[in-house]
Amino acid sequence: MTAVLLALAVLATLMLGAVLAVAMDRRIAQLAAGLARQRIETEAPDRLNRNLAPVWYFALAAAGLSVVPFAPGLALLDSPVGIVIWGACEALTIVAVFLHGWSPNAPFPLIGAYRYVAIGLPVMLPSMFVLIAAALPAQSLSLLAIVESQREMWNVTRQPLGLPLFTIVVLTLTLRGPMDFADAADIATGTSAEESGAARVVWEVARAAMLVSASAIAATVFLGGPLGPVLPGPAWLWIKTAALMAIFTWLGHRVARTTPSRMLTILWVILLPLSFVHLAIAGVIAL
Amino acid sequence: MQTLIILLGWTVLAWLVVRASQPPADATAPQSAPFLGGGTAGTHAWQRYHFRPYTMTLLFIAFEMEMMFMYPWAVVFVSEGIVALAEMGMFLAILSVGILYGWREGVFRWQ
Amino acid sequence: MAVSLLSCLASRAPAPVFAAIGPGWQAAVERLLARTGLRGALTPRDAGILLVAGEMPDNTAEALNRVHDQLPRPRAILRWTRSHETVDDIAARIGASWRNLGAIDEQDLLPDQPPNEWKCVGPHGQGGKGMMGGTPYGRPMAMTGEDIRDGLQLDRYTARIGPFAPMLPPGLVLEVTLQGDVIVAATVQHQPFAQPADVDAPELCAARMLRLLGLGGPARRAVRGGRPGGLWVRGAVPRGLGMIEGAGDARDRLAAFLRGDSPVVAAFDLPGLLPGLEWSEAMLVLASVPPSAVLRAASLPEDA
Repeated sequence: MTAVLLALAVLATLMLGAVLAVAMDRRIAQLAAGLARQRIETEAPDRLNRNLAPVWYFALAAAGLSVVPFAPGLALLDSPVGIVIWGACEALTIVAVFLHGWSPNAPFPLIGAYRYVAIGLPVMLPSMFVLIAAALPAQSLSLLAIVESQREMWNVTRQPLGLPLFTIVVLTLTLRGPMDFADAADIATGTSAEESGAARVVWEVARAAMLVSASAIAATVFLGGPLGPVLPGPAWLWIKTAALMAIFTWLGHRVARTTPSRMLTILWVILLPLSFVHLAIAGVIAL
Repeated sequence: MQTLIILLGWTVLAWLVVRASQPPADATAPQSAPFLGGGTAGTHAWQRYHFRPYTMTLLFIAFEMEMMFMYPWAVVFVSEGIVALAEMGMFLAILSVGILYGWREGVFRWQ
Repeated sequence: MAVSLLSCLASRAPAPVFAAIGPGWQAAVERLLARTGLRGALTPRDAGILLVAGEMPDNTAEALNRVHDQLPRPRAILRWTRSHETVDDIAARIGASWRNLGAIDEQDLLPDQPPNEWKCVGPHGQGGKGMMGGTPYGRPMAMTGEDIRDGLQLDRYTARIGPFAPMLPPGLVLEVTLQGDVIVAATVQHQPFAQPADVDAPELCAARMLRLLGLGGPARRAVRGGRPGGLWVRGAVPRGLGMIEGAGDARDRLAAFLRGDSPVVAAFDLPGLLPGLEWSEAMLVLASVPPSAVLRAASLPEDA
């Protein structure tokens, strides 16, 4: 029954981690107050997608966390292609956020949704390059093998560009700070502009859950996940995930956001070639 | 098979949690008007939206297909040696010419 | 037990206020919203209290009612019109209203009718001019028009972005036609409200731009007079954006605001500056110009 225990561990990590993420944003009281307010429906919305967008966002966060090993060799989804499953979760997040902005049938959410697609798609590319570079020394796409390959040295030291590039990806997936084009201030909070009450709270909590998931993946791929001297595996994973969540939250509040077209140019002309260089370095070192 | 069950299980659980935590949406007509700072809209918001980065998405598809090739490449990389690095380097270099061309043509600008 | 924990947490939440700013009150409201215990909402859906500051002209009354009806219930209206009521007093009034919202709960001010009659051929109101005609679900659909760059025929969305949009100067009504998110036409339908000179204070102008750059915390710190403390702030504004004769571009003006200077901006053509800019660039340009200069520019063409 290890599968049941692991499923419970994933669920507990997701729920407690989401509460921790909201606490790091100092928004717990704000969200608690929002739950009691009226949930407004806009004119002629797409009801099915409006109700399902946060569901998919949650489900993708949970699926992403399922491939993370909680102890060396033990993960809920012990798949030989764990990285590919996480890549699928990243890509489908773009769809979920787009549907969230499409469904209210209002101008500002629609602009936010299309902007997010324009930025989210190119961000998937450095994400995959960085994860594949981490898979090179492990000779496998499975996250368990990647953890095993970090027993001597963590990937953050032998592949230094990886974590900074993956930070951009995490900020995009969780709609934070410099990559928050979906819920931006100049379009009146974008895809959430027509959401009120409990729906707003649910979307914020889903973003927090995705932060937990993405930080856990970053901790596994770059910081060795459950590896560590004295404490048991899951404790190290939680500590590393919480540390990365704090860093990502801090960056999300401090770094300015530029215009979408400029960010698009920066992604394709600077960040993507950087990820090529990173892959080349990782390849040479792995040989 | 187990993967599919787990993923479906998370989806169903998420749906139940979201459904339980929010009441059904309702509004009177003036409440449901789109927010425009107090102004009015002439039409519905749904439109044949001019998605300006569409040329960038063509370049993106090319790189996405290259990523598909990199998945199996990563698994056999160490056993293949320096030849594998050279081959992938050539593939990336050819596609990078695409990025340069796109940059000169202005596909990364919005207008 | 969970319900009482939630309500205990909820009572400590900062009061979400959507501010409808009237003539002469912009500086005071911006300083009020930087206090702890309140937060300025960017959309009325996020707010519980509508703060009406100042005496609104009659021609904006219907717009104010529209914004009021867009707040979710329970909601309250607070009017701040007497200048001898200090910032502390109004903050206390807001806090008291927020805790008593269930009792106050304002009703709708506009009649409960769809914007158009659902007429035409089909059962949902659609039909008429080919595929896109009629008024399905109460509104017509957007029709095509040429794009300003490449002549591509895609839909144009026209709307009047109203006097109380938080990212525009208060009182400015722009009738914009958007293709995608690029402005293809903009006309000023109502000038921004007149404000006294203290609204040009460099820390307030810097805070407006910082909010648009996504830095809410640094914006509040800037209004309170401290160092904002964001990263990559000047670099995030594109070079060459909003170039005005004698006043540089938006990045230069933001640098001046952050240093504490108030750049003098000569007259410029507001409706001519906006078309061709993408929405976030247009908002950054409007925020980078001190409000008195925007008012002068919007008042210039009398034949608009």
